[in-house]
Amino acid sequence: MTAVAATGAHSGRRFFFANERTAYWLMVAPAAVLMAAFYFYPLVEVLWISVTEPKPGLDNYALLFTSASIRRTIVTTLRICTITTAVTIVLGYVVAYVLVHASPRAQRWLFLGVLVPLWISVLVRAFAWVTLLAREGLINTTLRDAGIIEQPLALIWNEFGIVIGMVHYMIPYAVLPLYASMRDIDARTVSAARGLGGSRFYTFRRVFLPQSLPGIIGATVLVFIFSLGFFVTPAILGGGKTLMIAEYISLQILDLLRWGLGTMLASTLVIFIFVLLAALAKVVDLKRLFGAG
Amino acid sequence: MRDEQSFAQDCAEILREDLVAGRIDRRTFMKGLLALGLLPAALGGSGAFARAAMAQTAKPKEVVLANFGGDAVPAFTDAFAKPFEAKEGVKLVIDGSGPSTGKIKAMVDAKKVIWDVIDSGTGQAHQLGQAGYLEPIDYTIVDKTKLDPQFAYKWGVINYYFSTVLAWDSTKIQGTPTWADFFDTKKIPGKRMLRRTGLAMLEPALLADGVAADKLYPIDQKRALAKIASIKADSLYWNSGAESQQLMRTGECVMGIMWHTRANILTRDTDGRIKFTFNQAIVQPGIWIVPKNSPAGSTWAHRAIRAMQEPEGQVLLLERMGNGPANPAAAALVKPQFNAANPSAPENLAKQVKFGGEWWMENQEQLTQAFLDMISS
Repeated sequence: MTAVAATGAHSGRRFFFANERTAYWLMVAPAAVLMAAFYFYPLVEVLWISVTEPKPGLDNYALLFTSASIRRTIVTTLRICTITTAVTIVLGYVVAYVLVHASPRAQRWLFLGVLVPLWISVLVRAFAWVTLLAREGLINTTLRDAGIIEQPLALIWNEFGIVIGMVHYMIPYAVLPLYASMRDIDARTVSAARGLGGSRFYTFRRVFLPQSLPGIIGATVLVFIFSLGFFVTPAILGGGKTLMIAEYISLQILDLLRWGLGTMLASTLVIFIFVLLAALAKVVDLKRLFGAG
Repeated sequence: MRDEQSFAQDCAEILREDLVAGRIDRRTFMKGLLALGLLPAALGGSGAFARAAMAQTAKPKEVVLANFGGDAVPAFTDAFAKPFEAKEGVKLVIDGSGPSTGKIKAMVDAKKVIWDVIDSGTGQAHQLGQAGYLEPIDYTIVDKTKLDPQFAYKWGVINYYFSTVLAWDSTKIQGTPTWADFFDTKKIPGKRMLRRTGLAMLEPALLADGVAADKLYPIDQKRALAKIASIKADSLYWNSGAESQQLMRTGECVMGIMWHTRANILTRDTDGRIKFTFNQAIVQPGIWIVPKNSPAGSTWAHRAIRAMQEPEGQVLLLERMGNGPANPAAAALVKPQFNAANPSAPENLAKQVKFGGEWWMENQEQLTQAFLDMISS
């Protein structure tokens, strides 16, 4: 529909452009140049350093298979990110479901609740979690005073604490795409299923859930990719014992001056994400997923 | 930026906290910022390229001192910038944008250096110096008689002292614990706290393991790491000075290895609940370095360093921030109330173990990685 309308609107201007394709490219050009200069060029530079420092070749990449320290970091990162993503999607789904079915007034408050955390510094949030989860923190002291526990629970300084902090950070990124996709679901399909005798759960499972699947996939990918870049939260909530890939890279670049190794890991991460997106593109329509078209 | 914080970075943060808490006024805060070299980069950046072209000895418009400001800190202005300006007629500008190793490398590589003197550490000095990014310290200008020659290195020279001390919660521990107690979780149960880089953490481990203070170097790395690994389950590792303070204040840890500046604040804030000792603490030098192709030129960078060797400024820095004066002549000028927490007071120096900069220069790089690998595996 929109394409037809656009053609109509532009037909009078054909005089200026050889054809519509030229017009299209002219309009895209400034953005494309900007991206090329400030995004793709540095990206290529990073890739270049990874195969030239300290000496030309793929030695840096060989470390992926030979260095125990790198392998451990990657495994830790993937494990934490997978758990974080799974928990975030389940919780985010519930929030998005409630949001879609809430009254407009309630919706406004709910949205505020979802969005406010986005504006608080990640460092502040990590320290806030420490206050809640620590040995002498609010949760442990309350449970102890209530006589429910005798020894403080190990809620922090481990991967449990890290996942709590990361899920908290990630929830809005899951809720928003999920909400967008659920809003598009025609409520009449649910009513029809109920009318035909489907139970609440059956209707949800066979009618609502499948229709929200694109949102689930989109949110999963978004949250997973974002989680890969975490390091402040894991460093603090893990009691300093957890090293994730982003911090590993930053350590190599800023402190150890092993730029070859650092850029290799950065490149690997970028390539991994592109492969992930490419694989996803085979399954779902990416453009639609991230809101275009 | 990486999360691990250097001592210099932490100093700036402490000043900011003092301001917020109303312990110092804004004027003093600004002065502190200036003194630390931490005024915004914008003030120091302009004209940097023009100055780079100037002859080495011609009077530059300004000398730029880089430090870890962020929110930071004019203690250096009163202590260092003002005397320098009065003496040489050249402005000393403090840029607090945080001179990480990676940034210095990138600047020198791109031939766009905007700093003349940088507040650094032994490891960074050696690493950058060996890689060809620094001017060697010119000891014809910098006065070796105004410092402990042990901390006068090729690629860097001492600017102030700080110390890595043992702090403890006096409600849970009676008396003054030792490093041996720190590593003995059976004798004294409860969580321990260490810094997340290995720097000055291996020495306490070896001292606890029975190595004599004068036999620490060269460090037996394997033995030290094994000792630290032995209490890993009971240890937390801090990244920033503020974090170390929080872990002790909230009672999360019964003992901690931390910087004397933070330990001193804790003692004050907890009315003496958290105590610390200089006994066998590791006394370390902060380091000035001079990058290659600095805008004011190497001569003027070194003249600034020389001016900052004067004891009066160093004493002022101690009063404002707790950093120990590097010039031994400063000891006579320190007011008695500042000596208890002064790492370079003669009576405190005598109790401490001198940091082996040479060993760390050779080993810090591989050790940082080895240490992180050990605690994260």
